[in-house]
Amino acid sequence: MDLFFFKMAVALYLVASVAYLVFLLRSSATSAPVAFWCSVLGFTAHTLSIMHRAIFSKFFPLATAFDALSFFAWLIIGLFLVMRYRDPSPIFGSIATPLASVLMLYGSTLSYQIREPLVPILKSWWLPIHVSLALAGNGIFALIAVGGLMYMIQERLIKTKKIGRYHRLLPSLETLDSINRRGLPLGFFFLTLGIISGALWAGSAWGFYWSWDPKETWSLITWFVYAAIIHQRLALGWRGKRAAVLAILGFVLVIFTFIGVSALLGGHHAFSGTSPFVRIRGL
Amino acid sequence: MKLEILVIGLHHSTAPVEVRERITFPGDQEGAITRLIAAVPAVEEAMILSTCNRAEVIVVTEQPESAAEDIIRTVGRIHDLDHEAFRDFLYVRQGIDAVHHVFRVTSSLDSMVVGEPQILGQVKEGYRRATNVNATGPILNRLMHRAFFTAKRVRTETGVGLSAVSVAYVAVELAKKILGDLKDKTVLLIGAGEMAELAARHLRTQAGKPIIVVNRTYENACALAGHLRGRAVPMEELDDGLVVADVVITSTGSCEPLIHASDLKGVMRRRRFRPIFLIDIAIPRDVEPAANEIDGVYLYNIDDLQAVVQENVGERQQEAIRGEAIVEEEARKFVEWTRTLESAPTIIALKKKLEAIRETELARLNGKLSTLSPAQRETVEIITRSIINKIAHDPIAFLKKAGSRSRRNVYLDVAQRLFGLDGLTPDSGTEEKESDQK
Repeated sequence: MDLFFFKMAVALYLVASVAYLVFLLRSSATSAPVAFWCSVLGFTAHTLSIMHRAIFSKFFPLATAFDALSFFAWLIIGLFLVMRYRDPSPIFGSIATPLASVLMLYGSTLSYQIREPLVPILKSWWLPIHVSLALAGNGIFALIAVGGLMYMIQERLIKTKKIGRYHRLLPSLETLDSINRRGLPLGFFFLTLGIISGALWAGSAWGFYWSWDPKETWSLITWFVYAAIIHQRLALGWRGKRAAVLAILGFVLVIFTFIGVSALLGGHHAFSGTSPFVRIRGL
Repeated sequence: MKLEILVIGLHHSTAPVEVRERITFPGDQEGAITRLIAAVPAVEEAMILSTCNRAEVIVVTEQPESAAEDIIRTVGRIHDLDHEAFRDFLYVRQGIDAVHHVFRVTSSLDSMVVGEPQILGQVKEGYRRATNVNATGPILNRLMHRAFFTAKRVRTETGVGLSAVSVAYVAVELAKKILGDLKDKTVLLIGAGEMAELAARHLRTQAGKPIIVVNRTYENACALAGHLRGRAVPMEELDDGLVVADVVITSTGSCEPLIHASDLKGVMRRRRFRPIFLIDIAIPRDVEPAANEIDGVYLYNIDDLQAVVQENVGERQQEAIRGEAIVEEEARKFVEWTRTLESAPTIIALKKKLEAIRETELARLNGKLSTLSPAQRETVEIITRSIINKIAHDPIAFLKKAGSRSRRNVYLDVAQRLFGLDGLTPDSGTEEKESDQK
């Protein structure tokens, strides 16, 4: 019973991933709806799993890397379901479900036991606020990067006049560019709040707001890079391919800040993890 | 006797246009001609399918050979033609071949342009006429519903109707893939020409803003703009037009390129890099090919569009193979269903008997009814028909849903005895029962 809903969600996401793959390789009409409904069911099970973990740990379930990964995967699938409402193309699902599956499978190799007693600082309400804001920002940046990648592919197909099945499957350039246009300010907003909430948490826990911890430094670099990207977009009218390239490069930086920093540089974000590079911020 | 589905027809690959254009079943708008076919002896149910390159008669009969002969003669009579003149161009299919054929046609796998969507509507129209004059019965009804179902499956489960197979349509689809919704987009037409106008008209149905027309002679531009309900712009202001427009169709007789890549770079800056889709259908070309290299500029010439059409046609043929498998499956299912259907002949016999009673009674009273006006006569027709329909309704509904196989056979037997339906003797009924029990 321990991880029943979690396992069910992973299983459903995996089925959905396979169905989406079948859909991409052979245009089977039944596989796309099957994949979609598996994702919806998986998301439901996943939500129950997170609620179950919350009851189990008597707190917002983010205290272990396992939970943080699961929560991030949940955000990704949630974003995909919202996106699908706007663009019914199955293409987003065929990226989101395998991504969520991989994150959760990786998470399940980590210990999900909560260390008792919990490090006192993790009992703060700042934990869910800070982590979910930061993860929401990352999730949106991931979506923008995926949209950018699809934009590059679709743009290439149209320019080289390869008008086939993949061209039809991919959304229009306009749709893909609008993900970038709308997503950038939103992701930036969450990133900003994530950094501020982190600083406030540090202030309330340790008495100093900013300590140039590697994670903080790299988050700030990320923040400046996205500020620059938004500037290019809004002030200079950069759009389309250029915006897509920037979104992908920006996300490389996000990944580094998210995973690489703790693994390579350490710092005080690395205090509750159970794997060499999994820390409180999730990965 | 067993009821068979029979299809007699001709289409673009069996008959030359001289024959096709003469067999069109004129005057069938209300099903009058369908009624003639249904009146052919041995024909139980009938419908006509008539399109610009296809003419078909679909009937249900117990005697396919003689019915086929009679139908061919009737068709000849309808069109004032000697039936020998078109007999050689006809195909005749029966049984599962006929079912298969009807499903293929309805699914647009037998069309000149495979996957074209009109045929389904045309079949529905033919069926509607036939039902209007009560020419259809349980078997044709079922056949048609299965045909529509099959067509839907083929459409949704294969890509047979997905890709555009005309230049104008390809252009519209591409415009949507580049610009998204075309509602707030502007089309710019440079020059004139049949194909350019066609593409512009196609785009106009989707694009919300009025078309801008540019021409070397401003008067011509004004005339064409009036035609397309757009506005004319003088050639000197072409660059301004390019800044505003989202889709540009060029088709001038100019020997030199009209739009240079270097000009477009400036235009793109002024457009704030909004993407632009250029369709160059002029020969020699109006737009420098290098323009396609500019970020945000998508340039297609007529050969590019034609190549897409070619590829899409090939793709449709690939998808059609998958459609054939669906048709195969559905045709098999339908034939299986006809084997389990013994209530249908009973229902037909019952309806026939009631109709015969109605007709003889009306004929007997012909003298007394002769004073009636045509309208009143029509009313009597309607009343009597509705009386027999109401009488028949409950027994038929009962026979149709009567539970298990063995029980249904009992009910069928009883119904045949009760109504004294000859042609379906009690003996043949028991025979059926025995064969069922095996």
